[in-house]
Amino acid sequence: MTALSTKSATTSAAKSAAKSGVWIGYLAVLFLLPQVFDSILAISIFNQMAIAIVFALSYNMLLGQGGMLSFGHAVYFGLGGFLAVHALLLMESGSVYFPIALIPLIGGLTGLLAGIFIGSFSTRKAGTVFAMISLGIGELVAASSLIFTGFFGGEAGVSGDRTFGPPLFGMDFFSDTDVYYLAAFWVFISTVFMYLFTKTPAGRMANAVRDNPERAEFIGYNPRWVRLISFCAAGCFAGVAGGLFALNYEFLTDENLNLVTSGRVLLMAYIGGLGFFIGPIIGAVILTLMNFLLSNYTELYLLYLGILFLLTVLFLPQGFAGFIMMHQAAWLRGKLHTLVLPYLATGLPALLFILCAIGLLELAHASGAELHYLGLRLARDSLPTWAGLIVLAGLCCWLTVKSTPRLRRAWEAAQ
Amino acid sequence: MSILSLRGLRKNFGATEIIRGIDLDIEPGEKHAIIGPNGAGKSTLFHLISGKYAPTSGSMAFKGRPIENLPPHRIHRLGIARSFQVTNIFPRLSVLENIRCALLRPSGYGYSFWHLLDRERGLNEETGRVLERIGLAERAKIPAGEIAYSEQRALELGMAIAGGAELILLDEPVAGMSHSEAGNAVDLIRKVTEGKTLIMVEHDMNIVFDLADRISVLVYGELIACGAPAEIRANPQVQEAYLGEAQGNA
Repeated sequence: MTALSTKSATTSAAKSAAKSGVWIGYLAVLFLLPQVFDSILAISIFNQMAIAIVFALSYNMLLGQGGMLSFGHAVYFGLGGFLAVHALLLMESGSVYFPIALIPLIGGLTGLLAGIFIGSFSTRKAGTVFAMISLGIGELVAASSLIFTGFFGGEAGVSGDRTFGPPLFGMDFFSDTDVYYLAAFWVFISTVFMYLFTKTPAGRMANAVRDNPERAEFIGYNPRWVRLISFCAAGCFAGVAGGLFALNYEFLTDENLNLVTSGRVLLMAYIGGLGFFIGPIIGAVILTLMNFLLSNYTELYLLYLGILFLLTVLFLPQGFAGFIMMHQAAWLRGKLHTLVLPYLATGLPALLFILCAIGLLELAHASGAELHYLGLRLARDSLPTWAGLIVLAGLCCWLTVKSTPRLRRAWEAAQ
Repeated sequence: MSILSLRGLRKNFGATEIIRGIDLDIEPGEKHAIIGPNGAGKSTLFHLISGKYAPTSGSMAFKGRPIENLPPHRIHRLGIARSFQVTNIFPRLSVLENIRCALLRPSGYGYSFWHLLDRERGLNEETGRVLERIGLAERAKIPAGEIAYSEQRALELGMAIAGGAELILLDEPVAGMSHSEAGNAVDLIRKVTEGKTLIMVEHDMNIVFDLADRISVLVYGELIACGAPAEIRANPQVQEAYLGEAQGNA
């Protein structure tokens, strides 16, 4: 008994040490990133990532943890952002004066209040009813933003200036780097609080209500209250993300609270993995990177995003985080290396197939006579080019499919 | 005073009368079984007592307090816990989390978002004790949807008894179990409901006569007999309506 409890004490101590290690690592990455990559472009990518991480994590409080499929989460993001811009405007006009660092708090408070109000009637039911109400609210607020131009600025939007506040630790927020450090601070705080929320009675009951709302009633919980609490928390953190957006861009339009933004955060959370706390962070990083890297090179960015989402739903229903976690058992047993060759055997043809498919899509889309692709010059009107790409794509597809059973066997053997 | 008393309880679904006027008093500490043929309304009666359905008319009182208009979560808070005929658990949560969730409300955590579950020693010790009692301590970390059926039934029982409700409702606790599994389940039920009031619906007559102090016979929404096992066995009306047939089948 003593031996057992000592052992469990050591493992739990090791576990908590590993956990604090992860958090310290997270903090270190957040603060070292702009020092390793210090170009203006990199900083602007990091800022967008920071905003996306908070937003996607807040979305997962609804869908992944609470089982509420929302098509209108941008409402809380957008309202938080608009209020934050108006706060900047008030500061500019000199009527109020407070630290710029607290702007995301204004966004969070707005998101929380909007969450309380809208959640009070939308969280009665989960499932289709909830999804439809969220869609309706999303449309309603997006439409209102074009009607009430005094507050939302109509199609032109509202812009503010973040440099009128008092400086903080010598940062005057003229540069994006200053904004990044502030954003990194808020990302860390928000991530910690959203993580801790999953460890509280309200957070755990959100999982229980997601799994089985009826059973939750018979252990003394009203599913509606459980959902409402998660909903308000999600609204609050979406508002924080909106506030960060306002600080970063100093500019908000109706696009920030419409269905496109709501859809994008759903994609981020889903592609990253709904079942894991870290999933939405991965999704936010991947999609932000894709957005920046691909949209510079191709006009088909949205098509690729759609295909990526489709492939994730079909083949990685647990998202990228789930894919990584699939290898935990193999890693713990020290058998990860047995998977390298099978992965190469499947991965290389798959990669080549993807490149061929992209080549074909770009060729079909190309406006000129020639397409520069991977150092090749592909002629648009040449039949051999098309035929070659199609044959190569078919061959690679066949090789990929052919080699997957071997990969599956190797993976199962490593469990 | 009886712990639960039902007076003139009726439930209609549209024009169909499922429960047709039930009067019943359950004494504290008694082990009460409700038997009856399929479609007699046994599960419906449980759904009424636990608040899943509201009665069409009549009254229900738990320890003298009317409960006929309360939603399930309020009834649970008063001290009535139940299990379900069809396994009803949180499949993606671990076995341990299932029990811990069932303990939250009775331990006074409510909708708290300022306590961290892992730091609440009393709660976690109690969770461990319940897991030991239902024999699932070894399975604590496995998702509840992945354990064996008989283990899920034990978990279901554990969720009903966790938190120390005074009145436990068990809806066919051994349904779908093999003979030896059912025997173990009966021992478990006896052990974990010691000192509590138990009402159960059960088809297996051996188990009913083994566990119950008193039996009610429900036929077409009405109680046709209520008494000690020996009386029920001897009652000609019961034999005609149900028992003879059931024993013939068994």
